[in-house]
Amino acid sequence: MSIFYAQLLTGLAYGMLYFMIAAGLTIILGVMNVVNLAHGTLFMLGAYIAFTFISDELNFWIALLLSVLLTAVLGIILEKLLIKHVYGKELEQVLLTFGLSFIIADVVKWIWGTEMQTLSAPALLNASLSIGDMVFPLYRLFVVFIGCLLALLLWYLESKTRIGAIIRAGVDDRAMVGALGINVGLVFTGVFAFGAALAGLSGVLGGPLIGMYTGMDSEILVTSLIVVVIGGLGSWKGSFISAILIGVIETFGKVWFPSLSMLIVFLIMIVVLIIRPQGLFGREVA
Amino acid sequence: MEKKKRFLKLNITGLIMMIAVMLIIAGCAQSSGTSGNTGSSKEESSSGLLKIGFILSQTGTFAPLSEGIINGFKLYLEEHNGMLGGKKVEIKVEDDEANPQVALRKYRQLVHSEKVDILVGPISSAVVYALRDEVEKDKKVLIDANAAGDDLAWSKKSNYVYRASFSNWQNGSSAAKYLANNVGKKAVILAPDYPAGKEVLRAFKAAFEAAGGKVAKELYPKLNTNDFAPYLQEASAENPDLIYAFFTGSDGIRFVTQYKEFGLKGKIPLAGALEFGDELITQPTGEAAEGIITGINYSPYLDNEQNKQFVEAYKAKYGKLPNIFSVEGYDSAAMIDKAVAEAGSVRSEDLIKVLKGISFDSPRGPITIDPATNNPIQNFYIAKNELKDGVIVPKVIEMVKNVTMPETSPFE
Repeated sequence: MSIFYAQLLTGLAYGMLYFMIAAGLTIILGVMNVVNLAHGTLFMLGAYIAFTFISDELNFWIALLLSVLLTAVLGIILEKLLIKHVYGKELEQVLLTFGLSFIIADVVKWIWGTEMQTLSAPALLNASLSIGDMVFPLYRLFVVFIGCLLALLLWYLESKTRIGAIIRAGVDDRAMVGALGINVGLVFTGVFAFGAALAGLSGVLGGPLIGMYTGMDSEILVTSLIVVVIGGLGSWKGSFISAILIGVIETFGKVWFPSLSMLIVFLIMIVVLIIRPQGLFGREVA
Repeated sequence: MEKKKRFLKLNITGLIMMIAVMLIIAGCAQSSGTSGNTGSSKEESSSGLLKIGFILSQTGTFAPLSEGIINGFKLYLEEHNGMLGGKKVEIKVEDDEANPQVALRKYRQLVHSEKVDILVGPISSAVVYALRDEVEKDKKVLIDANAAGDDLAWSKKSNYVYRASFSNWQNGSSAAKYLANNVGKKAVILAPDYPAGKEVLRAFKAAFEAAGGKVAKELYPKLNTNDFAPYLQEASAENPDLIYAFFTGSDGIRFVTQYKEFGLKGKIPLAGALEFGDELITQPTGEAAEGIITGINYSPYLDNEQNKQFVEAYKAKYGKLPNIFSVEGYDSAAMIDKAVAEAGSVRSEDLIKVLKGISFDSPRGPITIDPATNNPIQNFYIAKNELKDGVIVPKVIEMVKNVTMPETSPFE
């Protein structure tokens, strides 16, 4: 029986990682109505930046902090320079962010090469825990913990703070919020930077789990888009549930039907979309 | 509200279409690289010059393997004044990007434009099968320096292709009997889901069960798996006496590392194909590789005079220990050296007469090219990785002499 729990825990760790990635994507989507297809690339960039710092003998936690900061700064630059010109124009957004993802991916290849790399988990968490007769690496539990922490933080920000109130209002009626004297442009920049920082954070935390390689950006993007679609566009709560669902199902699928594990994820998406076209937690379309 | 509704609908369909596009792109994404060209000369092949064309995979996962082969080959050349079989050697190296189509293009360039006399390579079995049909047509000798596909010795055997390395069958079967007799009867086996993985496990399973063992479960993660967690948990839940695995390159490094992370090291004995005893994996994994039992055909620690000299020379030239791929390159050169000297010619028709049954001493031990399969008959060594002064040394427990492939496939 303990194999079942161990696999469940592995799936949960994946799910939390997917949640961390999808959260940034879905927040940007929900607040700004921007589909940021460069999100996977920011994830990759976060991991590689941390990799460089750690290769320079820097502490994992400092590397993590610096990566998150740098991806956030990059987010601000991208938003100020490019994204802000395409608000409300969906096709342009898709083309712009998709193009960006190619450019950044090529830059990553150019700087770091095409060889597969792995981030090593921080020394503090480089231990294992026994669960029955199964052993589980501590680092994965840490990823689960951070995922839960992030969910709590998002809940708090959304429902208990002024920023959350502004954002909620801004989603419903942007013009009204603007009329109240709130700088919507600034809020949007902040949200985009926050989303980019989340991508960077999950990149660093995911490094020890899934490694770093060329093509990881599009793989992650596909997974997180699926998470977001299943969960309901723009709903981080939906992403939380669907990320866990996908992480767990994918893990079991890998063992039970190794060659079908990706297909299963798509099947879930199709079923969900047939039953609830707006996604599990999507806003009811009246 | 009307506007919002339309917007949501458009977004969902748009997103799903994007996902489809993305998947296609992710699937097609191929790392591209530039091909190296080592100083060209327009000189036509004349009696005094031996032109050798290499088709290797210098970009991507296989790059370190290709580097080992070239290094080994060049070392042999240097030790023999740049001559093989009494002829001055000129080499051309091309990168096939592990892609049969690219390999065929590079092949045509080497054979038809550069007019090389002999080909050496490739790394990938898919590539060797593609090249095999071409060399058969053009009657050009190919020394297979690495690709281990079994069928090259059986249904796809060619009079023009001679293997310097080893076959998947040899790799998978060599340690099976020892493991069944000395470690345990119940095994879980794992390999990547591609032809070499399937072939190594097929050979292991047949030999292991013939020795009274039982394979309780076979797991095939996809090639380039980042995380083996679900497979490791599944394997250990079977409570086997041992786990046997075949993973190469970065897959191998991750597998061995995660085996320790998930607490299986020291709990269930890990055994594996020769790659788990090779420098390319044991060096980066370090302590995690301790205790793994393998059937290797080479290690820089093998105790024979020729190996000692080879290791010394290799270390002096490249500043690191040779691995199995270095020896494959070195032996490819030795094979050509001997064949050209014996044939007294570089013409393919003359070379294939002497390549069949050719034998020579290698740092890995004596080698004979089996005329029945064109595959080398060679010794394998059952070894256990030991940690000595911070480095992993495969300690030889037992020698399996003259591992010879069956003449025809036992699996049909």
